[in-house]
Amino acid sequence: MKAGPRFVTTDLRPLELALQSEVRAFLAEELPRGSYRPGLGFMAEADKAFSRKLGARGWLGMALPKAYGGGERSAVERFIVTEELLAWGAPVGHHWVADRQSGSTIAAFGSEAQKQRFLPGICSGELGFSIGMSEPGAGSDLAGLRTTARKVEGGWRLDGTKVWTTGAHRTDWMITLCRSSEESDRRQGMTQFLVDMSSSGLKVNPIPFLDGTADFNEVVLDDVFVPDELVLGEVGRGWSQNTAELAFERGGPDRYLSTYVVVEQWLRETADLDDEALRLLGRLTACWWGLRQLSLASARTIDEGRSPVVEAALVKELGTRFEQDVLEALQHLVDVEPSPQSTSLFERLLCEAILTAPSNTIRGGTVEVLRSVVAKALL
Amino acid sequence: MTTDLLVATAEELFAELCSHQAVQDAERTGWAPAAWSAIAEMGLPWIGVPESAGGQGGTLSEALAVLRVAGRHGLPLPLAETGLLGSWLLASAGLDVPAGPVTVVPVDHGLLYDGRTLTGTATRVPWARSAERVVVLLPADGRFAVASFPTADLRVEPLTNMAGEPRDTVHFAVPVDVVAPTSIDAEQLRLRGALTRVALIAGALERVRDTTVQYTAEREQFGKPLNRFQAIQEHLVHVAQQAALVGAASDVAGRETERGGGAVETACAKSLAAEAVHVSTRAGHQAHGAMGMTQEYSLHQATRRLWSWRREWGDGAFWDRYLGRLVAARGADALYPLIAGGTAALG
Ligand SMILES: Cc1cc2nc3c(=O)[nH]c(=O)nc-3n(C[C@H](O)[C@H](O)[C@H](O)COP(=O)(O)OP(=O)(O)OC[C@H]3O[C@@H](n4cnc5c(N)ncnc54)[C@H](O)[C@@H]3O)c2cc1C
Repeated sequence: MKAGPRFVTTDLRPLELALQSEVRAFLAEELPRGSYRPGLGFMAEADKAFSRKLGARGWLGMALPKAYGGGERSAVERFIVTEELLAWGAPVGHHWVADRQSGSTIAAFGSEAQKQRFLPGICSGELGFSIGMSEPGAGSDLAGLRTTARKVEGGWRLDGTKVWTTGAHRTDWMITLCRSSEESDRRQGMTQFLVDMSSSGLKVNPIPFLDGTADFNEVVLDDVFVPDELVLGEVGRGWSQNTAELAFERGGPDRYLSTYVVVEQWLRETADLDDEALRLLGRLTACWWGLRQLSLASARTIDEGRSPVVEAALVKELGTRFEQDVLEALQHLVDVEPSPQSTSLFERLLCEAILTAPSNTIRGGTVEVLRSVVAKALL
Repeated sequence: MTTDLLVATAEELFAELCSHQAVQDAERTGWAPAAWSAIAEMGLPWIGVPESAGGQGGTLSEALAVLRVAGRHGLPLPLAETGLLGSWLLASAGLDVPAGPVTVVPVDHGLLYDGRTLTGTATRVPWARSAERVVVLLPADGRFAVASFPTADLRVEPLTNMAGEPRDTVHFAVPVDVVAPTSIDAEQLRLRGALTRVALIAGALERVRDTTVQYTAEREQFGKPLNRFQAIQEHLVHVAQQAALVGAASDVAGRETERGGGAVETACAKSLAAEAVHVSTRAGHQAHGAMGMTQEYSLHQATRRLWSWRREWGDGAFWDRYLGRLVAARGADALYPLIAGGTAALG
């Protein structure tokens, strides 16, 4: 029998607790409650000015090398900063993808010139990134992607269509996975490219989200030229690089806190909690506490030099389903017909959360796909 | 001994003592004398009890680690009651720790102490029939005190929980010769009782996980092992998740209790454990089909214990309410700090 997922719990050390206090004080100062509309986890608004302030504090690209503007800080320290930002509903949208995965991917696979060119901008909060993986014909089965990269003089020509590209209308760069050669194994012959969103031949078409918001896009690549120096990592090794990138994407506090602010705001607006309400509040507290223990344990594991891929998938599968259960439980309790125009912030957040929550268990790998990742470790 | 070595030793011993037949026999007879002698000889019931009080020394975390192994094997003995609960209470009051098994009357017992005698009926007392002494935490002069009684002086009615573990009804009409004041109060005892159940549940959830992983690898239907079906893999993921979650919760709650806090962590852990029992037993049984419903196959030795233990020392709903009150009293701004900081954030 295989070992299966393994978690070694940990707690915060004095310097880590000091960082936590520092982040809390910063948020209280920069974003006093009531002065902004809290966002739902990493779906919060994009606010470049806010991201720059985080960058100035050294709270973006925390794990990246100092030589490129990073902090060479630990995964646990990054965990502390992100959990506080998410619980506060801070506008993390601009830097989210760059900070969570693009920076680490470039640091891991990029050339020296690429690191010098991109990492400082990621760490300062300047650069926003998109993820160019999904295509109309390639979702969970990403190896079926068809966007092609054709070798030409001095670079590559990209043709194809990416979909569900979050933030593509406002980001600067997109790490784009393409097929660069036809191989018998579909997972061979793929390459990642750093694509400038202002390239000629690149067109971003909005795909309105079901609630009318516009953060979702289709990106059409029509003979887009990418110079050789913007090939990310090795030609033909795109699949394994992309798999590593997905591991950065999973298992963090963003995978169980997306609906946290709804509960916090409900608590703020509710004077008397009856027995049922107290029980729900206690139950949710216990769940967040428990998920946090697992997620924090994974962060510590990364700092110890291991890559908790299965553990991250396990946490994300559990956490994203929980994010949805939170809303269901609240609706059993609170007898209102929530209105998006309500004067109650709680009701507005609840509407937003109900309308967006189905995506939590889909994006970045569906729960079904995550379950097969975990199950493989148990077979 | 390091914790790892201690756990390995307990694992080996409990595996040997808890054969399927041995556990079934203990359920039928209500006692496993040879198994008790074996663990007593190694001092396992008294880990975490100071040597000065007649215990083995060692930490609470070590005692909980051993208890988790007991939970994994369904060890049919009052391990938690003798050391972590009974000897802990006795030692806190400066009373002697007896050499034999001890049990503890759960809180909210409703026994009446008039300064001279203790009267009334306590229910759900684990292994009272086989214990050398029954320990009671009593309110006295606005504080708490510990008294203990030879079981021979009490009338014990044998009852069990759903796992066939003795949970006896004990009738008291006894003079109280010694009451010794303690700094432990009813809430601390309840928390500690809950913590023991979390550790036991964490172990039994591992057992459900391992049994289910193994069975679904071996059993074939439609020409392939069950674990090749996605629907079955979903069950495997659920049992693995719940074991991971409660295992982590148990560790953290034990560690924080050892540091002198632990109320929030224990409450969270018991709440999670209760839900985990629901999820894991459902998935585990489903993956086993009819085989899991038989007495002959051992899955039920874990699942019947899980269904029983989740209700002991407060079920999920009790601890949810407890946590809910702590949060509500502090307000919305304090919620996340509490989730991240636990008991230390209560101030
Ligand atoms: C809000 C949001 C933002 C997103 N942002 C981005 C982005 O920025 N960049 C990007 O590249 N992508 C993005 N995505 C796309 C996302 O990664 C995909 O939606 C996801 O990988 C699933 O692919 P799909 O939607 O094509 O679903 P499909 O793969 O078609 O799946 C449909 C259903 O079938 C199930 N299924 C598929 N295969 C299997 C299998 N083998 N076994 C069992 N069940 C299976 C799935 O689990 C799912 O339930 C985003 C998605 C959302 C919802």
